[in-house]
Amino acid sequence: MNEVTEMTESTDTLCVDDVDDLFPHNWILHHPMYLRMQSLDVEDGAQVHAAFLVYMDLTEVRHWKDVSSLKCPELQVVLLEGREKEGAPMQSILPLPVHQYLNHKSVRTVLGRGFPVLLCVVASDSTLVYQRMTDGFVTPDPPAGQIQDHGRRQHRKRHQQH
Amino acid sequence: MDATPTAELTSTPGQHVVEPLQDGGGGDGTSRRPHPLIGIHLCGSTALVWRTADVKAAREAGVVGSLVGALPRQPRQNGRLGRPLQLGQEELRLLLEKQASGDDLESSAPNSDGEVQQAQTECYEEEQRSSFEAQSILALEERKSALLRAMGGAKQGGGTSQPDGGVSGRLEVLDQSFVFPRSAVAVQLRTARAGLSHCSDERTLLSAAQPGSSQRAPRSESRFQVFRDLRQRGYYITSAGKFGGDFLVYPGDPLRFHAHFIAVCVALDEQLPLVDVLAVARLGSNVKKTVLLCSPGGPAAPVHYTSLQWSGMV
Repeated sequence: MNEVTEMTESTDTLCVDDVDDLFPHNWILHHPMYLRMQSLDVEDGAQVHAAFLVYMDLTEVRHWKDVSSLKCPELQVVLLEGREKEGAPMQSILPLPVHQYLNHKSVRTVLGRGFPVLLCVVASDSTLVYQRMTDGFVTPDPPAGQIQDHGRRQHRKRHQQH
Repeated sequence: MDATPTAELTSTPGQHVVEPLQDGGGGDGTSRRPHPLIGIHLCGSTALVWRTADVKAAREAGVVGSLVGALPRQPRQNGRLGRPLQLGQEELRLLLEKQASGDDLESSAPNSDGEVQQAQTECYEEEQRSSFEAQSILALEERKSALLRAMGGAKQGGGTSQPDGGVSGRLEVLDQSFVFPRSAVAVQLRTARAGLSHCSDERTLLSAAQPGSSQRAPRSESRFQVFRDLRQRGYYITSAGKFGGDFLVYPGDPLRFHAHFIAVCVALDEQLPLVDVLAVARLGSNVKKTVLLCSPGGPAAPVHYTSLQWSGMV
């Protein structure tokens, strides 16, 4: 905080180097969680990057708890696990870059871990789209609101207009 | 009776009957066999069901199909269509499987023909008898009321006072002596049963071989396995052309329920572009249906189902 005040007071122009020190362009590469993900030894760099972006979203934007990363050996990808809030059940998140492919078998593998699964698709502009995947048949929610049977009222109205 | 509907489809020269038609004993389903055979006609590669009884039997077996014929009184609309019922490839296969396993009528056809004809003759004669009796009763009533009208008219017009005893006397005479001649009986000729392959020898001539399983694409094989498994779980299935999936899955008869699921059949190792996965899930949530990814495990393995839902995380 003090550093920043000093800079604005003293000068004319903001020293680019100072800004870089504070917000280096490659800050992701230095982030501890990213370094941890790197250490998981997953070859697909794009997938690791996607996983990191999802991690940041879950922790800093949505404030999820106990978020950790792990390697899925069968799929050779970085998976995330976390809770929506304190005490909530654990969930698995599969982060994938949008240009990649998904097969049903991989989905079944992640479901096999036993936690509810979220698929998160990461676009090139880092837009994130989450989707729920569940084993079996999940009945959709019924339509909301009161469903009124208007009977023949509609037909009667039309008739009157004639 | 059943008027054959005018259909828009042109029948190709090679119109084959795949299965023998239902052997109704008395024409209108008076003799119900435990597994009624459903007559399926192939027009090219399209399977059609023409008779109402067969359409009903197919529905009871869980096969919904889609009506594609024009209604004779409303030909210039396609909001409501009539027979024939067009069957999808999976529906056709399911019905044939059921009928192949269920029935042994085919094997006993030569013997049963004689018996069937005997039963049909007896039924016909019984119908004629009861029809004659009913008609003679009605004719007698008609005569009586005509007599009464004549007597009443004569009374009013002529003014001659006939004693009331005369009317009842005449009615009694009529009761005792009235004979309804056989030649005056009205006989109904049914036209519904006439038609292609009513006779057994026509049937054998026209029965066609099944398209070989080697010709079936692997994708249609997986579709059929999913179809059959869903049917066994008690769901009703129709085609899902409007929703971009393979099938629409209903928890009960489509006339009573909205669909719950859009089924998309994929192989377990088939690579799906992620944008397609997102697109179909988003579509499903917009129409309040869950997208079901269905993959058959193998010839004897169970089918795997995964439900895709919009997460609602904005």
